[in-house]
Amino acid sequence: MSEQNKSVWSKSIPVKEQIHVIWTLIKMAKPFRSMFVWALAIGAVFALLQAAAPRVISYYMSNYLHQTSNVPFKIMISFAILVAVIRILQAITDALNAYYFTVAGEYALEDMRIRVFKKLHTLGMKFFDEMPAGSLVTRVNNDTASLTDFWRFFMQLTFAAMSMIGAYIGMWTINMRATLLMMIVVPFIITSIMVYQRFSSRLFRHMRERLSALNAKIAESVTGIDVIQEFYQEERFKKEFSKINGEYFNARFKMIKADALLLEPMIDMLLGGATVLVLWYFGELSIQTIVSAGTIYAFTTYLNNIFSPLESIMNLFSPFQEGLVSGYRVLGILNNDAYAPKQSLNAAGDIINGKIEFKHVNFSYDGTHPILKDLTFTANPGDTVALVGHTGSGKSSTINTLMRFYDFQSGEILIDGQDIRDISMNNLRKKMGLVLQDPFMFYGDIAFNIRMYNKQITDDQIKSAAAFVGADKFIEKLDDGYHAKVQEGGSSFSAGEKQLVSFARTIVADPKILILDEATANIDTETEAKIQHSLLKMRQNRTTIAIAHRLSTIKDANLILVLDEGEVVERGTHDELLAMHGRYYDLYRLQGVQNEAAV
Amino acid sequence: MTIFGKLMWFFKEHKKLYILGLSFLFFTEVSQMVSPALIGHFTDVIVSRQMTMNQLFFYAGSILFFAILMYIFRYMWITHIFQGSALLEKTLRQKLFDHYLKMDTTFYQRKRTGDLMAHATNDLSAVQRVASGGVLMLVDSVVIIIFTVISMIIVVDWRLTLIGVLPLPLLAGGVWYLSPKMRRAFTASQEAFSRLSNKSQESIAGIKAIKTLGQENLDVDAFNTEVQKTIQINKKVAFIDSLFGPMATVVMTISYVVMITYGGSLVLSDTISIGQLVSFSTYLGLLVWPMFGLGQLFNVLERGNASYMRVQEILSEKSAIIEDEKGYEIVTHGDIEINIDQFEYPDDAANVLNDVSLKISAGDTLGIVGRVGSGKTTLVKLLLRQFDDYSGKITFANKDIKAYKLSAYRKAIGYVAQENFLFSTTVRDNIRFADVNKTQAEVEEAAKMAALHEDIFNFPEGYDTQVGEHGVSLSGGQKQRLAIARALIINPEILILDDALSAVDARTEKQILRTLKETRQEKTTIIVAHRISSVISANEIVVFDKGRIVERGQHDELVAQQGWYAHMYEQQQVAITFEENLSGKGDGDVGTE
Repeated sequence: MSEQNKSVWSKSIPVKEQIHVIWTLIKMAKPFRSMFVWALAIGAVFALLQAAAPRVISYYMSNYLHQTSNVPFKIMISFAILVAVIRILQAITDALNAYYFTVAGEYALEDMRIRVFKKLHTLGMKFFDEMPAGSLVTRVNNDTASLTDFWRFFMQLTFAAMSMIGAYIGMWTINMRATLLMMIVVPFIITSIMVYQRFSSRLFRHMRERLSALNAKIAESVTGIDVIQEFYQEERFKKEFSKINGEYFNARFKMIKADALLLEPMIDMLLGGATVLVLWYFGELSIQTIVSAGTIYAFTTYLNNIFSPLESIMNLFSPFQEGLVSGYRVLGILNNDAYAPKQSLNAAGDIINGKIEFKHVNFSYDGTHPILKDLTFTANPGDTVALVGHTGSGKSSTINTLMRFYDFQSGEILIDGQDIRDISMNNLRKKMGLVLQDPFMFYGDIAFNIRMYNKQITDDQIKSAAAFVGADKFIEKLDDGYHAKVQEGGSSFSAGEKQLVSFARTIVADPKILILDEATANIDTETEAKIQHSLLKMRQNRTTIAIAHRLSTIKDANLILVLDEGEVVERGTHDELLAMHGRYYDLYRLQGVQNEAAV
Repeated sequence: MTIFGKLMWFFKEHKKLYILGLSFLFFTEVSQMVSPALIGHFTDVIVSRQMTMNQLFFYAGSILFFAILMYIFRYMWITHIFQGSALLEKTLRQKLFDHYLKMDTTFYQRKRTGDLMAHATNDLSAVQRVASGGVLMLVDSVVIIIFTVISMIIVVDWRLTLIGVLPLPLLAGGVWYLSPKMRRAFTASQEAFSRLSNKSQESIAGIKAIKTLGQENLDVDAFNTEVQKTIQINKKVAFIDSLFGPMATVVMTISYVVMITYGGSLVLSDTISIGQLVSFSTYLGLLVWPMFGLGQLFNVLERGNASYMRVQEILSEKSAIIEDEKGYEIVTHGDIEINIDQFEYPDDAANVLNDVSLKISAGDTLGIVGRVGSGKTTLVKLLLRQFDDYSGKITFANKDIKAYKLSAYRKAIGYVAQENFLFSTTVRDNIRFADVNKTQAEVEEAAKMAALHEDIFNFPEGYDTQVGEHGVSLSGGQKQRLAIARALIINPEILILDDALSAVDARTEKQILRTLKETRQEKTTIIVAHRISSVISANEIVVFDKGRIVERGQHDELVAQQGWYAHMYEQQQVAITFEENLSGKGDGDVGTE
């Protein structure tokens, strides 16, 4: 827990792990290889064109622009056209290279996004129960988005490398010795990049960490403003914020200084140094032999071509690291094996009657603390079995195993006499309807919330399902009726209305088995009565497993199980349990004297 | 441009920083003009084969000297000007944060958290960019253009300069044309991103519902559709973005053609030397960035301006709660009298409270019940002084509650809501939130009173356990009890529990209520509840309906009245006794399984 608590910026990943992440990400981009290859090929053409233009101008200067020569206008124009054509091709290839590479990167990251999303849907409830939803959303979206920087870095890197190679080829065609001499700058470039990388990545991480602390502080203060004002802690928060704000400023100022020291000004100075080197070489050479103006022109231009892409590479270092960290976390999800419980390989069974049998079922969430112990009961078709017990007694866990949200460890769950694992997941989901304690509403409209993604459900079916559960009245009063907008989380609807819509969602699929996790939310009495009425209707002709909090709803159950610490301590019908003079009897007796029992 | 005027207060405040920064920027640009001229001369010397070692030393030395000088100048201006912009952001952020802390409930009802966050992040960065990039683009671009053109005229030739530079404004124009398109495409891309975020947020939050219906694959398909749309939108961004660099190449091509033809003929006619032509080409290269800068300038300023206006708008909002500086300092012990004729929320015309009059004697407990939306919580809000705008009067110890200093009055109240926000810190610091100087013993005492001490004992790190967004997840009842401890630690004159026991099981509720009764005999307690059991032993219980008090009296009286109260009590009693008896062990919370 405390590990998750820390910002990702507070730690770095070991180099070996980094290389593994890079390699895996590249391997996963394989479907888009041809796009990347095209982009690279176009980039190579660009680099050659970029080197060609100065070479042509240099040739022109050296061979035609002597004071003595007389150049025909036609030649001048021919050179001008040649240079123009080269440069326009250069512009086109430049645009294509950048576009294709970015788009390929985009495809790769969206592919990753879908993979993560898909993967999440294969994971079991255990995973979702343990992971905060917010961090999963970050994994799917923000982390994959950071991969843009990962790909952009490679783009700039190959771009710079090709520019450099192109420039060296151009130089080579003019003067080989000078070209070899210019190789001296390469180690300088690499050193300055490495120095910057070492410095900046630490500063950048620190800065980002401070920034997220700062944003977290603002977010927390805004969300908790009531509490802050109520307890009059404004001054304290001001001071705390001022401290974080100051720390962020300091971190940022350090980053600014590091950039000023090692980035653009440094690259320019190195370029100046390299220029001096070239001039010195040719200056000295000119004492012995002829050196043309074109040569000086070409070499100074090539040096520019070598140095100018460096800054963008160095600027992308920190985002690249960010991309790596994100990639690392995304791969963490992709490699997670907390899968949802699987059905048998050839599971093809169906549910016809809806008979449910639990036989000696044992279950534990973590493998050590048993939650269900030797749970055994039978629900015959059309029966209602009620589970009664306090928090932690195993009521929800019984449902979790029956819904296959979690796998049980031993024993058997049979439906219509077949092992639950032999029933196809599709049939299991279709024939078993779970009504959640906290009904979830999806963004869209009411009809979508009842139909969900099942396009086979007609509008009429939706209406009759809503009418069946008694949701039609409030829906028809809405401005757009069944097409009324549902905001995120259904915030404009009351808890009771949400509950009714979720009933309709369950009923429209016409399940054979109904599983009720009764709500304890604050619902006003009138709505509560409506809900109870709908539940009664829904249970008809369906096998029902119900978690009940209200005695009135279970009185007519065919079987009532009183659970305690995962064990059935009493079982029977209402009347049988009364006759047992046990716990249930006590309860009933208490109810009888409820008015006097007032404390 | 007006944005610079609006930020003048800041530039003035940090005059020294900006004067130094701009001076160094100026020096950098002057120095930048030197080496192209030197390279040109040097070329002439080489071509005419008059090179001597002395000259070699002179040229190489000068270029190196200026390279080092420029390094220093650049370092200086960057650290000054960017420091200034970071400082601006810091200053504005603190202002904004302080302002947020001051604002009232109405403000927070109108504004969404996301927007308030965006003001403090995106908007401030946009303003910051005016003070860094904006200043730079304006000053740097203009100065470089002027200096470069002058240098070209002096060092090379005015006619060649004129014709050669002529196409460059096209580049500035092109950037100016593309930038807003880029911005729109980028905004669309961000919107697509939030759609994806929302979609996945929903899928993850609703995972159980999706699994229940077995619609995992269909949900992936829906997500995929959204992703495909996003790809199309991002392709457009990539397309526009890929045009900027090539555009410079194309525009510069015209200048190169001029250089080859016209420049070439000037060399041949001996008007300029070949070295001057080399200088010319280097100077041309210097003009590319300023054209980009000018093209983007208006965009940066426009965005900065819009953001600054938004921030200013927020800063100019006044909190409706005004601190009366001359107000009473110390809140004494006393009765509360409530006489409200009428109250309605500022943005909602429907009356929510009508003719509410109540008297709570010091040390008494008042119970408030009623259906959802009946006005119970609204009354509490008025007591908390979240709204001051009502007709009628609320007095505490015979003085109007508005006459107290807000700080003094709020310190006298301990408020606990149904949903309580916990801060991302330890359990201990959450309990002693109102006073960080409370000792461990005092914290534990408060926790014991709220029946939370034993729970904390079972947390992984006891009182040092982190809670809040990134900490351990507490059950609803634990959260409520923690909030109760947080309120009890200051031993408030008035304790308000606003449905604050709803997630606590019956047995624990009883225990807490008993403790409150014992320890708060001298202090006033107000309990708002859905569960009748919470108010059963109150000195007076009032039932709200549609903003009015419809029933009042003690428990027995109300039961005898056979009204709404009696009806509710009967219904709830069944469930409560049942639950209570089942959960024989004690600390379980309702509704958290």
